[in-house]
Order: sequence, then C-alpha cells, then structure tokens
Amino acid sequence: MQGIWIYSEDSTIAKQLLTAGLNLKEAMNQPLGVITLDAGQAKSLIDSGADKVVVLKGENNWPESYAEAIGKFAVQEETGVLLVGGTLRGKDLAAKVAVSLDAALVTDAQSIKAANGSLETTRLMYGGLAVCTEQVSLPAVLTVPPSNFEEAKPVEGRKGETSTIDVSEFDQRISVNEVCPIVRQGVDITTAGKIVCVGRGISQKEDLKIAEELAQAMGAEIACTRGIAEDYHWLPEERYIGISGQKVKPEVYISIGVSGQVQHVAGIRDSKIIVAIDSNEKAPIFEAADYGIVGDLYEVVPMLTAALGKK
Amino acid sequence: MPRILVCYKWVLDEQDIKINRDNLSLDTSKAKYKIGEYDRNAIEEGVLLAEKLGGSVDVLTFGTAAVKQSLKDVLSRGPEKAYFIGDPLAEKADASVTAAVLAAAIRKIGPYDIILCAEGSTDEYNQQVAPRLAKMLDIPAVTFVNKLSLEGNQVQAARKLGDCTEVLHVEGAAVVSVMPEINKPRIPSLKQVLAAAKKPSEELKLTDLQLDEKALTPKVIKLSIRGFVMNRKNIIHKELSQTDNVAKLVAELAKEGVY
Ligand SMILES: Cc1cc2nc3c(=O)[nH]c(=O)nc-3n(C[C@H](O)[C@H](O)[C@H](O)COP(=O)(O)OP(=O)(O)OC[C@H]3O[C@@H](n4cnc5c(N)ncnc54)[C@H](O)[C@@H]3O)c2cc1C
Repeated sequence: MQGIWIYSEDSTIAKQLLTAGLNLKEAMNQPLGVITLDAGQAKSLIDSGADKVVVLKGENNWPESYAEAIGKFAVQEETGVLLVGGTLRGKDLAAKVAVSLDAALVTDAQSIKAANGSLETTRLMYGGLAVCTEQVSLPAVLTVPPSNFEEAKPVEGRKGETSTIDVSEFDQRISVNEVCPIVRQGVDITTAGKIVCVGRGISQKEDLKIAEELAQAMGAEIACTRGIAEDYHWLPEERYIGISGQKVKPEVYISIGVSGQVQHVAGIRDSKIIVAIDSNEKAPIFEAADYGIVGDLYEVVPMLTAALGKK
Repeated sequence: MPRILVCYKWVLDEQDIKINRDNLSLDTSKAKYKIGEYDRNAIEEGVLLAEKLGGSVDVLTFGTAAVKQSLKDVLSRGPEKAYFIGDPLAEKADASVTAAVLAAAIRKIGPYDIILCAEGSTDEYNQQVAPRLAKMLDIPAVTFVNKLSLEGNQVQAARKLGDCTEVLHVEGAAVVSVMPEINKPRIPSLKQVLAAAKKPSEELKLTDLQLDEKALTPKVIKLSIRGFVMNRKNIIHKELSQTDNVAKLVAELAKEGVY
C-alpha cells in the first residue's frame, strides 16, 4: 500500500489535514497528494506541502457526487491512507470511498500515527465518556474533525505537480435543489471568555431573560444544550455546546438548568472554571463542576446577577 | 405502498457506564441495553411514513446474542416485523463488517423502497453505516436528513449541513440517515407493548448470508478504551439559604479571578 491522499470540499480544512498528512509522510515515507474540487487552490495546496494536487473537474456542484470518482481514483492509485475533512459532506463521501477501496474508516480521528504497517488512531466513544485507541489496517480512510489540526504553513515556491481529472458520470437518480446558505449571526462562542449556558431547566423561552441578565452582569455570551437549540429552537444552532455542537474553552462557564450528560460535558472540558446551578443535587453536572449551587434557578440566578452586578 | 426498513442497534446505555478511577477502565457491569437514541428517531420516521402512506415497516439489527432482548421494545414502537442477526462476531465488528452484514441481510429479505438509519449509533457514533450500505446496495445515500417525504417513487429529503440547507430528490430506492430533530419518538403505549409480543420476528444466521471471510474481518481493531476523567474542585453549596450559597460562590469566583 502506498500514497497518502487528502480530500475536503473545504480547502481550509484540506490545509489543516496537510499538517497531519506531512507527519504521516515522514513516518511512512510516502508521497502526499491532495484531491480538490477547487482548481484555484492548487498552488496554495502545493505551497502548504502537497507533492501532487489532483483537481476533479465536473459539471456537478454537489460535492457528494464526486465520491464515485474519488473512489475510482483511490483504487487506481493504490492509496494507503486517505484523510477526509470531517464535515457531514466529508463523512458521507468518506464512507462510500471506503467501500470502493474496501478500506477501514475511522470517524473523527483525533490523533493519527503510523505504527508497523498500520495506523493507530484515537477517537471519542460513548458520547465522549471514553477515548478509544484503535489499530487501523491499510488502506485506511480517516475523517478528521475540522480545526483538529492547525493549517500547514505555506512555503512560497514549493514544487509539486497538478493534474486534472474530468468527471462526467454522475448518479442520475439524485437531484439537488433549494440550496440555501445558513447565515450565521452574532458571536462565535468557541472563542468566548465567559459563557452562561442554559439547559432545559428553563421552562419557557421568555425566561431566557434570566440568563441574559446574568450574562450581561458578567460580560458573558449565552450558550445552550442541544435540546434548547434543536428541539425548542430558542437559540441558534451554533450556540449549542457538546460533542455534536461547539467545543468551548472559556475562563468561566456557568450552567443553569443543565443536567450535564456526557455528550454535553464533552464540549466544556477545556473550560478553566466550571460552575453549575441546578435543582437536582444528583445531576451529573456537579461532578463536572468546580463550584455549584443546588437550587431553583429562578431563585438563585437573579440573586447571583444582582450580587455580580453590584461589584 | 412503500416497503420500509429501519436498521437499529442495541447499545449499552452510556449513562450507566462508570469509570474506574484507578485505571480508567470502563465498568459496564451495571449498564443496561437500550435502542440507540437516534435509532428511535429512525424507527419513528418509518412508522410515520407508513401511517401516512400505508405500506409496511420492518426493522433489522445486527448484534450479539443480546439483541434478542431488543425485539419486544423495538416492535412496541410500531414496526410489524423484526429481523435480527445475533452473533458473537458483532462484539468485534467495525462499521465495514456491520454494513456488509446488514447489506447481505437486506439482499435476502428485501427489496425495500426506503431504508432508514440513524445518523449514528449512540455508542460508536461512526456515522458511516448508512452511506456504506447505500454504496454496497448500489442505491443513493441521502444522509443527515431533517425532513423526509415519499411521493410515489420519489424520496424527498431536506438536509442541514452546518453552513447550508438543501433538498434532495431521489428516484427509486434510497438509504436515508436521519438527524434527531426530524421527529419526537412516541413513548410506546401499554397496548403497543402488549401487541409487540404477538408480532413476528425472524433470526437470520450469519452463515446463511454468503459473506466471505474478508467481509467479516474487521479492519479496525480496538486496542484500548479509557474513560475520560476531569479533575474538578467539586465544591457544591447546598445550604438552605440561597443568600449564603450565592455569597460563597461570588467570593469563589472573585478568588479565581474570573470575576
Ligand atoms: C449521540 C448524542 C449526541 C448528543 N450531543 C449533544 C450535544 O452535543 N450537546 C448537548 O447539549 N446534548 C447532546 N446530546 C443530548 C444529551 O444527552 C442530553 O440529553 C442533553 O445535553 C440534556 O440537555 P439539558 O441538560 O438541557 O436537559 P435535561 O437533561 O432535561 O436537564 C435539565 C436540568 O434542569 C434541571 N432543572 C429543572 N428545573 C430547574 C429549575 N427550576 N432550577 C434549576 N434546575 C432545574 C434538572 O434538574 C436537570 O438537571 C446528545 C445525545 C446523544 C444521544
């Protein structure tokens, strides 16, 4: 098995994967290539470390429809490792390519190293409760979460070859319409220094005000659990924290009415100080907290807001 | 009228898994099994489609001998018939093996107009069985769907993908993976629970699925699973007087320099 390849429909992620790819290249002594849909990025991908760039050129704007072509290419190249940017589109494509290659596929690999003709990877299991180390036989496809690696540093004038593959066969059974970008508004909670996080302990949307007042007194951003965003739609989706949401790393995170199930806690582990307010003394959030108050949030939070506001 | 199949996984309830603090191993001795959280959304979606359009809903699962315990639970959620493969191989199966087994089973019991899966299972969350299955069965995959309808021979599905939404139309059969927000699974009524006991289930033997050694060999092997522990101060105030509790917390925040 040979050749390390990278693919992402998002060139920023492809450059992050080049960091992981360059490490593997050194350990496995194999060339490193990038498969891209964006011809305009070929040069900068080479500057960032790709020995080869293969541009897939076709009429179809739906990234997933290139799975077939990438699968064929990967087989023909006798690909050893294919790193795929772990967006939802990337995960869909990676699984199909893994079938074409008859390859292993590891989802959301966090660390990757070459070991005795195979790979060793780590990833989360049971909603973030555990870390699983796995031995992956080659050929291997790995999806890697966005921002897991820093972008590889470009070096001007690096040499590499670029080629183009024309893709003309697409699955006629599928048509894609009504493509709408989701416009993100407001702040990025992943970089917030202080966070007030609301959970389903808040009983109606109007009561979010209690949390907003606390956030204002502290200069914090509002975040939430999955249910508040996905089930109730009280807050935008990019405000929810957890294994399937955002990972945050504030100086202080205060939860109100959050039970602290592992899938949520997986997103707050890098917080410096974790504070929890919840009426259930047995809520798992208290095990994850530095400080906490057992009590009714409707009583405790306004008092805390007043006390913090006074200073 | 559509023939609908839903795949599900019988998983350990992660909320019952404890971490041994000394060696970070997982203690699953108290953990019960459950139908994967998101699989319940897939089952509910299949049942909703059948309620609207007529047709039938079958379910299929691959697991160890323990999967037998899932049958009553799954059938109480509305499907008519359950197929299961209970084999020790499931213990070590990776997603490539699981998808190969499910695909082979579907070739045997199908065809179906629509095959529903969850976005991912609650334990492994590999998010790859649905697209793998689609590729193996040579039908389109429509993944991460949050709205689904069937019209005649056409599947219509809305997807939400981080930075955009889109609607797919697929002619003919498809494998669809659903997101949890697609619906709210019903809690089975007593009547449904009782009725479940009379519904049929059928065991498929791995040896009858005509899979070669290679397809049944996992390509990913678990070397270790270690619990994730956080060391936190765990100073929790539970006095009756919230005034006191709040005062203590404010002092602590000040001392930490975060306020
Ligand atoms: C595969 C998978 C992935 C998931 N990913 C995520 C994720 O990324 N992020 C996420 O957040 N969740 C995720 N979840 C869901 C997660 O398991 C929990 O269900 C969810 O985090 C719980 O949200 P919650 O704490 O808001 O609600 P609940 O669990 O309902 O907790 C509400 C809390 O409020 C308290 N409460 C109620 N009333 C009051 C009051 N008056 N005063 C004070 N406290 C009160 C209760 O005691 C309780 O502790 C995922 C689940 C699965 C299966």
